[in-house]
Amino acid sequence: MKLGKTALLGAAAALLALAGWQWWSDARATANAQLGITQGSSLYGSTSPTPSAEKAANAGKDGAGSNAPFSTQGLQQRQAQQALWQRRYERAEQSFAAYKDATRYPPESRPLAEHPDQIRPFSPISEQTQARDAQGQAVKFMLRTSQERVFLSGADTVKFSIEALDEKGTLLPVAVTSARAQSLAESRTLTTTIGANLDFADDGAGADEVAGDAKYTARLNPAQQGFAQYRGTIRLLATVKANGQEAVAHFDVVYTPGSPATWLGMREAFEAGSLNFYARANVLQAGRYVVSARVDDAHGKPFALLQYNEEVAAGVREFKLHIIGVLVRDKNPAFPLHVRDIEGFLLLPDQHPDRVLMPRLSGVVHTSAKYNVANFSSDEWQSDERQRYLDEYSKDVELARLQVQKLQTAQP
Amino acid sequence: MQLTTGLTHWIRAHQPSLRKIAGIVAAASVCVAGGVYATNYSLWINGRNNNNAAQGNHADFTYWGPASANAGVNKKSVNWDGYSHVSDQNYRIRDALDCYCTGTNWCYVAAHSAGDLQIGYAMSLFGGTARSVKNATPNAGGVCSNTDGSTQTGWNIKWVDVAAGAGGGSELANLGSWAVADPLTGDLKTATARALYDHNQTRAKWFYMFAGAQGAIQSGLMPGQDDQAVAYHSAGGVSGSGGAGYCNPSDWFCNDLTLGSGTNEGGSAKWAYHSVSFRDDAQALNHYTNGAWGGVVSKVRADMETYAK
Repeated sequence: MKLGKTALLGAAAALLALAGWQWWSDARATANAQLGITQGSSLYGSTSPTPSAEKAANAGKDGAGSNAPFSTQGLQQRQAQQALWQRRYERAEQSFAAYKDATRYPPESRPLAEHPDQIRPFSPISEQTQARDAQGQAVKFMLRTSQERVFLSGADTVKFSIEALDEKGTLLPVAVTSARAQSLAESRTLTTTIGANLDFADDGAGADEVAGDAKYTARLNPAQQGFAQYRGTIRLLATVKANGQEAVAHFDVVYTPGSPATWLGMREAFEAGSLNFYARANVLQAGRYVVSARVDDAHGKPFALLQYNEEVAAGVREFKLHIIGVLVRDKNPAFPLHVRDIEGFLLLPDQHPDRVLMPRLSGVVHTSAKYNVANFSSDEWQSDERQRYLDEYSKDVELARLQVQKLQTAQP
Repeated sequence: MQLTTGLTHWIRAHQPSLRKIAGIVAAASVCVAGGVYATNYSLWINGRNNNNAAQGNHADFTYWGPASANAGVNKKSVNWDGYSHVSDQNYRIRDALDCYCTGTNWCYVAAHSAGDLQIGYAMSLFGGTARSVKNATPNAGGVCSNTDGSTQTGWNIKWVDVAAGAGGGSELANLGSWAVADPLTGDLKTATARALYDHNQTRAKWFYMFAGAQGAIQSGLMPGQDDQAVAYHSAGGVSGSGGAGYCNPSDWFCNDLTLGSGTNEGGSAKWAYHSVSFRDDAQALNHYTNGAWGGVVSKVRADMETYAK
C-alpha cells in the first residue's frame, strides 16, 4: 500500500531515496523493455516518433528546399523515420515472440495461474462500495455485498449478503428493512413483471451461516419464487439501514429456466503423450457447449485450466478436457491430479440471456491415476491456426526489419 | 476525327491483346473484391450510445469523429447499436471480423468502452470456432459473402487496442445512473461484466489498454482514478472483483495501476494478455470521443495510426 511506501520514503535520507528511485526506475525500465514500454505514463513517450515524422521524411524525398535529404532538417526527418520503424519493428517482434511463447500450449489447455479470476470460480463475488440512497446520494457508510453467482438456470439458487462498514472498515450494526427481487422489463412492449420479496436475516438459520455477525443474508430460488418460466435479468433491491441512514443495495442475476444437459461422470485416458479427461453428459439440447474445469496437483497447487467449446449433438456425449503433454513437462505437477470445479453452459448466440447452465460440479470431481512425467510428450502445440499466426507475425517482423535496415544504410 | 479513326484501327489491331488485358483486369478486380490478396484492416468497435450511426455500415464513423482521420490502415467502423445486450449485438462484431479478418486478410482492432466487452466476448467465446472465409465486401447490413466455401479456426487479429475499456464494468452502471432501462447497462454492472466470459481467453492476442483519468465530475462515484465513466480497474484490465481502486503514481493513498502486463501495486493481477499502454498521469483525458476522436480515444487513434499498417 501507498502508506507503507510513504513511511519508508519519509524515513529515508534524500540521497538514499534518490538512489532508490534510480534503482526502481532502472528495474522498471528493464522489466518494461520486454514489452517495449518506455518510461512515463505511456508506451509511447513524448519523444516517440509519430507518423507525422514519416510524412515529413517522405516529403523530404522530393529533395526541395530545407527538406532536402542531406540538409540538417532532412537528416532529422530521416532519423525520425528510422526511429518510427524501429518502434514498429519492436512491436512486431514482441507480437511474434509473445505469441510463439504463449502458444506452446493450446488455448484449451492453459496454466491456471494465467487465469487468476478462474481459479476459484464458485467463490462469492464480493464488492465494497459507497452506500447511496434511492436518489443516488451518498450516505455515511459503506456497503460490502456478495452474491454467489451472476448466471443461474433451472433449480439453481443464489445467496446474497449485505454488510455495512464505516470509513475505517469497521462493521456497523445494520438492518435490511425490505428486499424485493423483480424481473427487469427490458422490452419496449408492455410485459408483466414478476416479483418476490426476500427476507434478509442474521439469525444463523437458512442461508445465514452465523447469527449476530452483522452480515445479513438471503437466498433467491427463482424456480420456487415465481420465476420458473422467466428468461432474463432479475434485479434485487434491498433497503439497508445503518448509522441512522438508509441506502439501497443492488444485485443483478440472469436466469434461464431448464437445464440443457446433465453430468454422468468422468473418465481419463493417456493418449499421444497427453492426458485427457472425458466428462460424460446426457445432452438434452444440442448446440455449442462451453465447459471449463480446474486441475490441481496432488498438493492442491493450482495447475491447469481446461476449456471446451464445441458444437455437441443431443444424446450421451463426452466433453474432452485436454492437458497437453508439454504443459505437464513444463510445470511438473505432483500426481495424482485433482479435477475440480467444473462449470458448463449451452451458449445461445445472439440473444439474452445467452446461456443455459448445466449444474455446477463443485469441489474435486475426479482424481487421476499417477503418471510418470517423463512419459508425457514435450511437443509444442501445432495447428493451422498457430502456424498462420506465426507466419504472419514473422512476416511483419521481417518487413519492419528490412525497413529499418534500408533507412540505416541510406544514412549519408 | 482522324484521331478517332486511328484509335479505332489501333483497337482492332490490338483486340486480342486488349481482351487479355481486360481479362487480367477483371480477374484482378475479382481477386481484390474477393479478398484473395492479403490486406490489413483496422476495425473500430464503438461503445455505448451509437444512435446516430447506421448499424452495420462500416464506412460510418459518426461515433468516432471525422472519417478523414488517419486511424490505421483501411479503417472500418463496426457500428453495433451501443444499447442492447452484448450478446444480442455481438453478431455485428463477428460479422465484421468474418468480413475483414479471415483468409489472407488480417486485422488490427480498436475498441472503446463497451466495445471492449464486445471484442472480448467474441474472442473468448467464438475465437476458436470455425469461421467461413469472407470476401471483405459487406452488404448494407455489414455481412460479407463467402469466398470459396473454405473455413478457418478463429479470426486473423494481430492485436487489440482498447480505450477506456469497460470489460470490467462501471460503477455508474451499478448505480443505474446511465439509464435504468438500458439493456447494456445491465451488462456493464461490474459483477455482470466480469462474469460474462473468461477475460483471460484471448487466444494469446494482446489487448493494449489505454486508461484516462480526467474524472473530476464522477470521481466520487468510482473507486480510484476514472475517466468520468470507467475506473482504472476496468480500463487497466485488472482481474478480480470490481470496486478496487487504482491510481496514478502521484496518488499516495491508492495502489498504482502499473504500466505493462505485470501485477499492480498491492499485488493484483491483470487479465492475461492485457497490457496497460497508456495511463493518464496528467489526468487530462476523459471517456468521451465528442465526435472528434477525443478523450482517451485520441491516444488509441494515434497508436493505430502509428502501428496499424
